Amino acid sequence: MARTDTVSPGVTLDEASVLMFLVAGKQFAVDLNRVQHILDYQAPTRTPRRPPYVEGVIQHKGRYLPLVSLRKRLGVEGPGPENPAVLLLAGVGQDPVVGLMVDQVVRVLSLPADKLLAPPPRVFGIRAEFIRGVANAGGRPVVWLDGTKLLTSAEPITLLA
Amino acid sequence: MTFPEAVGIVAVHPQRGGPATAKGECLERVAPAKQKARPRPEAPTAQEKFLLFRVGEEIYGLGLRGLREVLLPDGVTLFSSPPHQVCVALEHRGRKIPVIRMSALFEASPAGIPPTARVLLTQGQARPLGLLVDEILEMAEVDPARVGPLPALATLLSPSCFRGLFTRQDHIILLVNEDGLGGLDEVVQFYATGS
Repeated sequence: MARTDTVSPGVTLDEASVLMFLVAGKQFAVDLNRVQHILDYQAPTRTPRRPPYVEGVIQHKGRYLPLVSLRKRLGVEGPGPENPAVLLLAGVGQDPVVGLMVDQVVRVLSLPADKLLAPPPRVFGIRAEFIRGVANAGGRPVVWLDGTKLLTSAEPITLLA
Repeated sequence: MTFPEAVGIVAVHPQRGGPATAKGECLERVAPAKQKARPRPEAPTAQEKFLLFRVGEEIYGLGLRGLREVLLPDGVTLFSSPPHQVCVALEHRGRKIPVIRMSALFEASPAGIPPTARVLLTQGQARPLGLLVDEILEMAEVDPARVGPLPALATLLSPSCFRGLFTRQDHIILLVNEDGLGGLDEVVQFYATGS
């Protein structure tokens, strides 16, 4: 795995592991501890009167999970990739596990605490309330999202280009 | 292996007041079973029957227990009501019955009523309730243990409107809960005002 310029040599107790992925060409991340599986996209069953960013429900190992489009949650218009990845996230809302559609999974990052910056009031148009921190990966910002706030708040978000 | 304490099940003769055989002979008691052990057959799984129907492009299921009739939507006051109106009236045997237009409730399909549409007359909260669906598909028997809960994030409707989900032939099917539907504000208001 390629090392990023945010990662210092060695592992410290203050290090966090995150899964980095792309949405609309921007780098985002979620807490790796929350990620149970990464699945290929499967067409969901559409549920009635669902929130605009919920695609429907899917089944995984006998459980039914809501499938959330992060593109739609972030207000990104236009179609995404044909085969997005689905992250199964645990403990990020009312449901035990949620499927989160992202454009592409990139890699796992280790983020030392001293390389993780507190977010400014807005990053790419996303309010700091939805962000756990910002780091630098490959010379570009990676935004560590707060999955719980993202999925429990009704506040619309518009990702800026 | 024997079952020394086992006593056979007997029918009570309705007139003589005592136990009777199938031929009507009165018996005081059926002797304890003395028979060779037979392997016990596995208890059959209690299956529940559902009527599957389509609303928009998705398939839903309704338990058969409360289902009374399936009607053509002739007597429903659909055509004089706005397309988005969820609850409409059905004139049925001299009574006005609330009918939930499922496509409007689910925001699932255009306002038009397909020729395959039917009204499922059931019971919601112990009162008659009609569900106008786009098409009736088939019956399904489901082991209740295979019914999973509907995720909270899956819909903005009240969770009480659904019993859960199950999978049939790779399709996820949502089971509606007639009691939950009968508790919708529109239905409660219908019964309160009569229209």
